[in-house]
Amino acid sequence: MTFSNVDRLGVGAAEADDVFQMDEDAFRLFYDRTARPVWAYLARLTGDPRQADDLLQETYYRFLRARGTPSDEAHRRNYLFRIATNLVHDARRRPRVDAVPMPEHLDHPDPQHVDHAGGAATRVDLSRAMARLKPRERALLWLAYAQGSSHKEIAETLGLKTASIKLLLFRARRRLAALLGDGAA
Amino acid sequence: MGALTFNQSDCPRESDVLEAVAFGRLPQIREHLDICASCAEVAAIAGVLRQDHTATIREAHVPSAGTVWWRATIRARAEAARTVSQPITMLQGIAGACAVGLTAAFAGGTWRWIQTFTSAGDFIVRLDARRDDIAAASTLLLQYAVPLTLGLAACLVVAPLALYLALADD
Repeated sequence: MTFSNVDRLGVGAAEADDVFQMDEDAFRLFYDRTARPVWAYLARLTGDPRQADDLLQETYYRFLRARGTPSDEAHRRNYLFRIATNLVHDARRRPRVDAVPMPEHLDHPDPQHVDHAGGAATRVDLSRAMARLKPRERALLWLAYAQGSSHKEIAETLGLKTASIKLLLFRARRRLAALLGDGAA
Repeated sequence: MGALTFNQSDCPRESDVLEAVAFGRLPQIREHLDICASCAEVAAIAGVLRQDHTATIREAHVPSAGTVWWRATIRARAEAARTVSQPITMLQGIAGACAVGLTAAFAGGTWRWIQTFTSAGDFIVRLDARRDDIAAASTLLLQYAVPLTLGLAACLVVAPLALYLALADD
């Protein structure tokens, strides 16, 4: 089928609003507020910035195509992170052959941005320790401590029971503390 | 980061610690952190993750909203086209299968018919016996040859035209 036929049969720019759950202006606002945190979440969960780039596009596409998404901002945000979590889970089942680890510029931030001398070293330790955690532990710790999400929000994002978050988070925190302790020793 | 101690106790001030980490007010709860190993661990982990979160977000190079929207629109178009073309492809498959089946059936029938003439002699004798029938059939076929050919040609021209008109909106 030629592209002109695709144009004829598919959606035009105006029709995109019917296919997607929000219009372009609303999307731009929502994207500008959420894209960087979502990318950071994907990058930390996968440990691969290139994969995070791909998954970011896929996350927003699925979000746009989804029906019956929550209307309020907080729930929309949780829904977006849930899509991202599921995509990381799917990607883990089919590992990429061209996967690359977090690059130097992410493991060793620009010195002028580092607040203190140990900042870069701490981030390297954290990257290594996070890589040794289970994916769910990484997600739990990132959502709880990096993003400051509540237990209810974490449960919503990861598809877990709210009551179980406390214990799971406690175990994940202990593991990370142990790994960071080993790294520093 | 120094070695951290583990404490399974559940401190009610954990949320205060997280808030202090988030807003950079750790010195205000320093006394509590000195006596509560659980909260000290929370503060250490949350502090490291917060710092990393801030730095990662600062260093993130995400595509613009317009680019993501444009890519999504293109993909939605392609998926819509694929959805529309699926039934056509399916019908083409069914038509192909029918054609193959009919050809096979015709070939089988013809083969059986030929096999009924066990010998060339038999065949000639039977042909001779049915000479009048064959002649009549040939005459009939010649009589309707022109309309039949025209009809077949019309079908070959009209069918693709009808398919094009059915798929075209404008």
